[in-house]
Amino acid sequence: MTKAIFYKELIKTRRVFWVSLLIAILFGVYAIMCIRRVGTSHGVEHIWLIMLMKDQTFIDAIKYLPPAIGIALGVAQMSPETHLKRLKLTLHLPYPQNRLIITMLSAGLLQLLVIFAVQALMIGIYYYGTVTCEMTRHVMLSTLPWYLAGFNAYLLTSAICLEGTWRRRVILGLLTVGVLTVYYMQAMPQAYNSIIPGAVVFTVLLMLLSIYSVYRFKEGRID
Amino acid sequence: MSETSVISVRNLTQRYGKGRIIYENLSFEVPKGRILGLLGKNGTGKTTTINILMGFLKPQGGECRIFGEDITAMSPETRSRIALLLEGHVQYSFMTISQIERFYSQFYPRWNKDAYYGLMKKLKVTPDQKISSMSNGQRSQVALGLILAQNADLLVLDDFSLGLDPGYRRLFIEYLRDFVKKEGKTVFMTSHIIQDLERLVDDCIVMDYGRILTQMPVAELMSTLKRYTYTGGPLPSGDEFFSPWHSDEGNEFYSFRPENEVKAMLEKQQIYVTDLKAEAPASLEDAFIGLTGRY
Repeated sequence: MTKAIFYKELIKTRRVFWVSLLIAILFGVYAIMCIRRVGTSHGVEHIWLIMLMKDQTFIDAIKYLPPAIGIALGVAQMSPETHLKRLKLTLHLPYPQNRLIITMLSAGLLQLLVIFAVQALMIGIYYYGTVTCEMTRHVMLSTLPWYLAGFNAYLLTSAICLEGTWRRRVILGLLTVGVLTVYYMQAMPQAYNSIIPGAVVFTVLLMLLSIYSVYRFKEGRID
Repeated sequence: MSETSVISVRNLTQRYGKGRIIYENLSFEVPKGRILGLLGKNGTGKTTTINILMGFLKPQGGECRIFGEDITAMSPETRSRIALLLEGHVQYSFMTISQIERFYSQFYPRWNKDAYYGLMKKLKVTPDQKISSMSNGQRSQVALGLILAQNADLLVLDDFSLGLDPGYRRLFIEYLRDFVKKEGKTVFMTSHIIQDLERLVDDCIVMDYGRILTQMPVAELMSTLKRYTYTGGPLPSGDEFFSPWHSDEGNEFYSFRPENEVKAMLEKQQIYVTDLKAEAPASLEDAFIGLTGRY
């Protein structure tokens, strides 16, 4: 049954998944090209220098892409469920309800993980071949909050789509803006290192919002 | 709850928010192996009742049980015994004919693939055709095919005739009736087209705003309910007289009481008639209008 739920979710999201993966790769390639250009024109030492002296990572181009992909995937996956109240079909499936929602969300999170991992690997491998291992680690740790923002954006968008009342949708929308803003407040690389474990726990807890939206749907709290 | 009841509803109360009452203390049962039609005008709470029964709406009062289980905490096992058709034949229209079959087959142990594809053959659609690209009629058959394949013990159908032309309605009814009768299934259904139900249902519940007017076998309803007409005099009042109506041709009302009792009751209200005529309603729709009124 779990496989069947994954199957349904993939049918809904496969187009957005492939397009997002392609865009993520293109952005990754662009970021790599930016680094290469600096390296070609000023030498690899210059990259090192800028990274150490000016706290630059040269990959700002991908900064806002993860939340954009998260939102697109959340809409693609959850809006067909609420359109025509199709969620009733899903909730009627003989499968424990909370597990059903978590499985649906896991399908989305897994797709995001693949997209983000491919992009991060591309950038990481290139950096690894260009600068030291420590500096590669420094760059990759700097991207972590952006990817976490992507997962957060996905989970919050899912909760908004599954919510049945406009009032709460607006509240959740404002919460989304607030949460995403937090991930972009500090421009310094690795500024978020100390809060990453907490942010991961927070991301997992965001699943509860979708579960609560569905609970409210079942209570009949819909416009 | 009687042992033979598949659905049991006791003192169900529901309102629109905190305002108007949809119904209060609604009670009924759906016996095993019967096809029961829930009839009512728009806004009487037919879909609301189905939403409550399926656990999509929390009732404000009362208790509902399906297969003896409280619907507010229905187990997946009990859900697997219920086939549900949503109003407008809503399905996962982003899937194709074969994808949706493959998807649902994983959830139901008694899944009958042949029943689904047997019906799909009639539609002349290809397995890779997307449901969203189909007509309303074709989509209704996909929804029906999935219900038949599920081979559930209880079928809950919410306004199955919505958006269907007469041909598809007939196809739906005939296919469903053959299946249900052959397999001895229990069906709880609504439809806004009463003629469709007449061909299908054994029993009916007629709902008015806030209450049940009657629940009985359709044959009994058609034989006991009478349309009474007479000329002159005022219209009667009281619970035994349904839909009193005055027209240029005379007065009419409906009642379950026999002619002699009706005459006595009219006289009690100082209505003396010499030309009282009783006739059976011509159709279930006539009986429905007779009970609920024209408006």
